[in-house]
Amino acid sequence: MRDYVIRRVLGMIPLILIVMIVSFSIFSLVPNPFAALIENPRIKKADIERLIKAWGFDLPWYLRFFKWFSGVIKGDWGPSLLYPGSSARDVIARALPVTIRVMGIEFLLSLLIALPIGIVSAVKQYSVTDYVVTVFSFLGMSMPTFWFGLMMMMLFSVFLKRPSGAPLLPAGGIMTPGLEEAPFWTRFVDQLQYLVMPVLVLAFSSVGSWTRYMRSSMLEVVRQDYIRTARAKGVPERLVIDKHALRNALIPIVTLVALSVPGIVGGASITEKIFNIPGMGSLIIAAETKSDYPTAMVGLMLTSVLVIVFNLIADIVYAWVDPRIKYS
Amino acid sequence: MAEQAVAAKKKQKTSDDYSYVGMVFHRLTRHKLAMAGAVMLILMMLFVFVGPLVWRADPNEQISGLEGMFNPPSSAHPLGTDDYGRDVLARMFFGGRISLFIGFVSAVSATLIGAFIGLLAGYYGGWADNLLMRFTDAMLSIPTFPLLIALASVMGKGMWQIIMVIVVFGWMSDARLVRGLALSLKEQEYVEAARAIGASANRIMWRHLFPNTLAVLIVSTTIGIGSSIIYEASISFLGFGIQAPLASWGNMLQNAQQFIWNAPRLIVYPGLAIFITVLGFNFFGDGLRDAIDPKLKL
Amino acid sequence: MDNREVLVDVKNLRTFFYTEDGVVPAVDGVDLTIHRGEILGLVGESGCGKSVTALSIMRLIPNPPGKIISGEIMFHGEDLLKKSEEEMRLIRGDKISMIFQEPMTSLNPVFTVGDQISEAITLHQKIDEAEARKRTVEMLHLVGIPEPERRYRQYPHELSGGMRQRVMIAMALSSNPELLISDEATTALDVTIQAQILDLMRGLQKKLGMAILIITHNLAVVAEMAETIAIAYAGKIVENASATEIFKFPRHPYTYGLLQSIPKFTERRTNEPLPAIEGMVPSPYHMPNGCRFNPRCPFATEKCRAEEPELLELTPGHLVRCFHPIEP
Repeated sequence: MRDYVIRRVLGMIPLILIVMIVSFSIFSLVPNPFAALIENPRIKKADIERLIKAWGFDLPWYLRFFKWFSGVIKGDWGPSLLYPGSSARDVIARALPVTIRVMGIEFLLSLLIALPIGIVSAVKQYSVTDYVVTVFSFLGMSMPTFWFGLMMMMLFSVFLKRPSGAPLLPAGGIMTPGLEEAPFWTRFVDQLQYLVMPVLVLAFSSVGSWTRYMRSSMLEVVRQDYIRTARAKGVPERLVIDKHALRNALIPIVTLVALSVPGIVGGASITEKIFNIPGMGSLIIAAETKSDYPTAMVGLMLTSVLVIVFNLIADIVYAWVDPRIKYS
Repeated sequence: MAEQAVAAKKKQKTSDDYSYVGMVFHRLTRHKLAMAGAVMLILMMLFVFVGPLVWRADPNEQISGLEGMFNPPSSAHPLGTDDYGRDVLARMFFGGRISLFIGFVSAVSATLIGAFIGLLAGYYGGWADNLLMRFTDAMLSIPTFPLLIALASVMGKGMWQIIMVIVVFGWMSDARLVRGLALSLKEQEYVEAARAIGASANRIMWRHLFPNTLAVLIVSTTIGIGSSIIYEASISFLGFGIQAPLASWGNMLQNAQQFIWNAPRLIVYPGLAIFITVLGFNFFGDGLRDAIDPKLKL
Repeated sequence: MDNREVLVDVKNLRTFFYTEDGVVPAVDGVDLTIHRGEILGLVGESGCGKSVTALSIMRLIPNPPGKIISGEIMFHGEDLLKKSEEEMRLIRGDKISMIFQEPMTSLNPVFTVGDQISEAITLHQKIDEAEARKRTVEMLHLVGIPEPERRYRQYPHELSGGMRQRVMIAMALSSNPELLISDEATTALDVTIQAQILDLMRGLQKKLGMAILIITHNLAVVAEMAETIAIAYAGKIVENASATEIFKFPRHPYTYGLLQSIPKFTERRTNEPLPAIEGMVPSPYHMPNGCRFNPRCPFATEKCRAEEPELLELTPGHLVRCFHPIEP
């Protein structure tokens, strides 16, 4: 097992390299990002030249890659062009917790709702409940999140109002300005109203997919011979489902969960943009749109590395949970 | 009573009586959700292709001045007008054509490219397989969406650019799928026989292996069209992709966003169209998968 | 005549399956009697309803699409078909046990074999876990598994097919049932292992005294094991007699055909082809009118095509369902 892990970790290195090369190449398709900065009156020409040198744009691309690569390894992720004065690292450090909060809550909520529903749907296959659940999951999976987000905003911010005349739910942002110094509890309650819509929108799609996965896994398991054996043994139906079936059905789900964790960090770009949430998703999009290549590249790379790492974690978890798997 | 039921059912055709394609069709038509999906798709196709013949209006003709803007639905403009005074219904027709075209072309291209790579990897095995699959895995690790935007921002705006971008990020799952199938299929005896009579690798791949992956690929493409439409809409939504005055459902949504306070209905139409179309493809694709092989796990 | 107490009396059992393609009359009027300690063999080709009969006795028919629509299954004077699900649950694994065909898939892959047997014990007997473990190890020893304490902690995939089947037997016999139903338990095993398992079952029967219902398509298996044999065809019993009677004086044309088609080494070699029963088993959706065997029967007459024969006792202990039984 240990050898397998070591082998896999070593195998991750070429993967990460390829990812870095691909990220870098895409941005290299644009000749010189700093050319646009000349337009910006706030930045001095001398600074621009310094940046060009620091980033190696005076060098051919392969050397430039090395320069960037070595910088990244050392922890210097470059300056942020969107927010001149801050480093890309600072900018990302500010955006990350916001995304994790929104996506993390959405992730847990979705699982909490979807898994039990999926189980019930599978156990009562072909019933009305199953039918309704299936239709709902499809609705969730097919729903364009940006449209749903806008529709929610329409409903809760434009049409529904509070007695004071303000929208029932704020149309964007993550907290009411001015409450930065307020005590934890006040801030907590305040932020809840901003979280409702984005979490709902994201959860609607997630619940759709997770329900399908859980249902399909349960259906697969419940058909198996060993379930028939359990019943023939006299195991009560409740235990047949909750112990014998579930324990098997959760194996692929657990793997999927591990593989989905990196998505929490990547953020849902469009939803963040619609609801004006200053998280990783909207940061990367903004960086790409406004040509802040350092930030964009690093953001991309971070999420990719996470995906690769969690791929390995998923495999390890899988081996831990399924006694049949032995990596030797 | 039981005997009567048995006698009555004796007259029905059973699964033994059909050919393979006939059986798939038979199962498909009995799948309620798949048929619902098919109906949705047919309605959408009619809307988008036949609509302009029924309601003739120029999607780009603008009515200048304030009275032209944001007109509510009327007999002159069944869905109203947008911020430039253009007829929304007409824009929906033509926007739909573009969105569907992009969705279809990118999904089919991605599948074909993915199948090609998968066949190569699965058939040759060894280092070719290793190389191709590592590459596929690396591409899969990169979160699709940000890179989609990145590529779109770099490649410029336009229909073919979007198609290319979607294809670049869409071929991987088909490659994995076909590779897996090719690996198991090539162990079959008819492949050995073909090799024994001197068939070239090319011939074996395309004439023997590929047709057996078709069923799975068709399902994948159908569902892929749904995803591609959403990708196009997302890219256009963010400002890349299809540019005004050309309409696509995605950029109509993007445009409508800023008018959420005064003309929210402009958001409803394109989004609803996308939703119904994608839902139709998903329902139908899922039913197709069940019809082809009820036990298949994709 | 058997003067042992009647344990299970199946009377006119009908179990149908309602599928999309039509109604399948899997068991269509089956009568069977099993005495205490008797070994009864139920023989027939695939699809003749023998497994469905067994599952009906255990009330494990999946509903949908199956349903036991009529008949009685008397066990200790009570009709099993009238019992509640909870009452049946207490009987399964305790008074009547069943083992299945596929040892590879009949055991739950995520639990140890020991735990699975212990579960069967604690479900039906009021003993604590430690005591159950002890009993489990005893059972493992009883079925001939070496190093039972070590095997307790192993998972099913670590055992060979023959071993797994022994575990299944241990599980089934752990509560000393009155009837063991073996549904093609040896079919999926190698011939040598098959012989071992049959020996084991015979030995255990002598030791524990339970009745065994052996379901198989293999006449050689019942020749070795069974005292009484019932022959099934197309959902009905066509002949029922002691093993010696069946092999020496088969009266139903189907039984006769089956016995004829076994290659024998003792007869003189001729150049004639091996006799086989013409035709094929009828499709359950298109059962023939009259006697179900008539399309394939060399002795069929008009009467056979028009009416269905009853199961009649021709000589004491020998029942045949035929208008023209073969004379001994």
